[in-house]
Amino acid sequence: MKVAFPCFGYETISLKNFVENLGAQVCLPPPLTEKTLSLGTKYSPELICLPFKITLGNLIEGLRAGADTLFMAAGARKCRFGYYHYIQETILRQVGNGHKFYPISQYTPFEFFFRKMPSIFSVSPVRVITATYLLLQHSALIERFRNYIRKARILDFNKSRAQEKHALELLEHAKKLSQIRKTKEAIDKLFDKTKIIPDNTIKIGLVGEIYIMLEPFANHDIEKELGKMGVWVWNQRSLYRHLKHLLHIDHLGIKYKFQASPYLKDSPGGEAINTVGEARSFIKNGADGIIHIYPFTCMPENIAFEALQKMSDDYSVPLLSLSIDEHTSQTGLLTRLEAFVDLLKRRKMITQKPKIQNSKIKT
Amino acid sequence: MDAYLGIDVGSISTKGVVITKNNHVIAQAYLRTQGKPVQAIKELIKNLQMQTNNTKIIGAGTTGSARRLAGVMIGADVVKNEIIAHALASSYFHPDVKTIIEIGGQDSKIILLRDGIPIDFAMNNVCAAGTGSFLEHQATRLGIPIEQFGNYALQAKTGVTIAGRCTVFAESDMVHKAQLGISTEDIIRGLCDAIVRNYLNTVAKGKNIQPLILFQGGVAANIGVKTAFERALNEQVILPEHFLVMGAIGAAILAQEYVSENKTTKFAGFRTADIKFITKAFECKDCPNSCEVIETFREGQIIDRYGDRCGKWSENT
Repeated sequence: MKVAFPCFGYETISLKNFVENLGAQVCLPPPLTEKTLSLGTKYSPELICLPFKITLGNLIEGLRAGADTLFMAAGARKCRFGYYHYIQETILRQVGNGHKFYPISQYTPFEFFFRKMPSIFSVSPVRVITATYLLLQHSALIERFRNYIRKARILDFNKSRAQEKHALELLEHAKKLSQIRKTKEAIDKLFDKTKIIPDNTIKIGLVGEIYIMLEPFANHDIEKELGKMGVWVWNQRSLYRHLKHLLHIDHLGIKYKFQASPYLKDSPGGEAINTVGEARSFIKNGADGIIHIYPFTCMPENIAFEALQKMSDDYSVPLLSLSIDEHTSQTGLLTRLEAFVDLLKRRKMITQKPKIQNSKIKT
Repeated sequence: MDAYLGIDVGSISTKGVVITKNNHVIAQAYLRTQGKPVQAIKELIKNLQMQTNNTKIIGAGTTGSARRLAGVMIGADVVKNEIIAHALASSYFHPDVKTIIEIGGQDSKIILLRDGIPIDFAMNNVCAAGTGSFLEHQATRLGIPIEQFGNYALQAKTGVTIAGRCTVFAESDMVHKAQLGISTEDIIRGLCDAIVRNYLNTVAKGKNIQPLILFQGGVAANIGVKTAFERALNEQVILPEHFLVMGAIGAAILAQEYVSENKTTKFAGFRTADIKFITKAFECKDCPNSCEVIETFREGQIIDRYGDRCGKWSENT
């Protein structure tokens, strides 16, 4: 059995190790490129959201690379993501031949551990549970690494490139629990924790749709670009949290739901409620600006956008909204990011001055 | 006399100014980019040089969508995005400005300022409906010089509703209205209204538009759109004196800021106009990302490279 699944940011490594821990061979599709996207666009409905096109293109590439079993995440929540796998399955049946397609996270935890996974991989439920535990550990490590690299980029951008490369190599080989533990120590050592981020660093909270937020190809590497400009990016989304959500143990989700409540009482679907909740908690923690990034025509995020606009007015924190589709140009995106960061810098310069004057008057 | 140079290279037009220390404009030029930015920048430089004989440029800045290329070519001290450039220039000439409406050749933006500081902005995201190039296309189609386009709108007796959400549909709608026998003037006024409606509903959506409102960029030359804005907002809309070259002025002001801090300039001089520049692109084959790398050569020597994701090309220039 050769397994393929769409790339998903750094988290691809966690998923790859998970499948390998279940004893199957991973036939990883090539990294996401313009070719993936044009392949996906060719077979997709025209106005479907960008993640659909990218993942479909990547699955087709996986098939062409020789995979016979395809996995795709699937959501049963109130947005188009819930229908991804039905359409993709139909399209893939026309493109490929004789492969199997499994919409993975659509199953309940019980089905997942005891019925589906054991039968797909012909292993015992115990092995599935162990592999899932390791997946959680590994994705937690990725989350840790993401947080480190965000800081490292501000401190020394060129050095962070080497650190990133090195850390990803380490993560690739962390399969067993002992290896994961060792990798954790190694990554802790790799990033210098003694250096503190200067107080006047611009802090931007990144919120939006999970796939666009975590896959650098989809978001034109927004985090790296912001890091290059010396911005500390706050991003609370990760595969780790998403997995915990699926297992009903995501306590952060409850926190953000509470945070979102003045603006959005009930979830309109997708991750809108997380988007709004995270944005509010970022603002409360002192973020200088919020960047909202989502696929063009995304229903839940468009609703979240309205709430975010009101929030940005109420707290007078600037909001940059970026809707991404396959026509989004890198240059246009960079212009907006650059302008946004400049605006925040100029704002910060002005708002900080009166404070200093005030304190002088007091003393 | 010491002066500062600012260049704004947009999709449709290339603008340049030379300003004094007190931000007084002593020379300005506006010409069409015509898809050849290198040529346009050279011509612009020549033009500005002729206007300013005994001045010495001690700082230069570039902005606009081709700011990077322009910056490399003339040796700019500052390469900045249009938003900051426009905000700076506007708040200098009109210190109480609170809203800037800027519609250019292919993008439109709104900038909100409070006490002279830009606090929020928005740019058209997925669609370029209702920007200058569309207006120009319609003017050509109707056989009206673009400079006269706005006056036609003013002569209209009533406006008709034109679907302004998408330029293609707007055009079909205009054709349809014309075939019903509605006069060109009324249709043009309808088009101006549609552009304003589209702008307010997409770019300026949810933004708190307060007076003083400035209108700049190429489309501001169109009196029809200006009056349509005034009708829709119920506020006076002001055209700054140098509304066409505000971005370039902003770039020059930024250059001035830079030079007063750093005391040196990288400006290559007016001889840029005679130097040969070539830009090439190639696809890097070293990894599956296959990035398109853009290279700029000055007289056969590489001066700039960008477009790679890993940084191995852009770092080695």
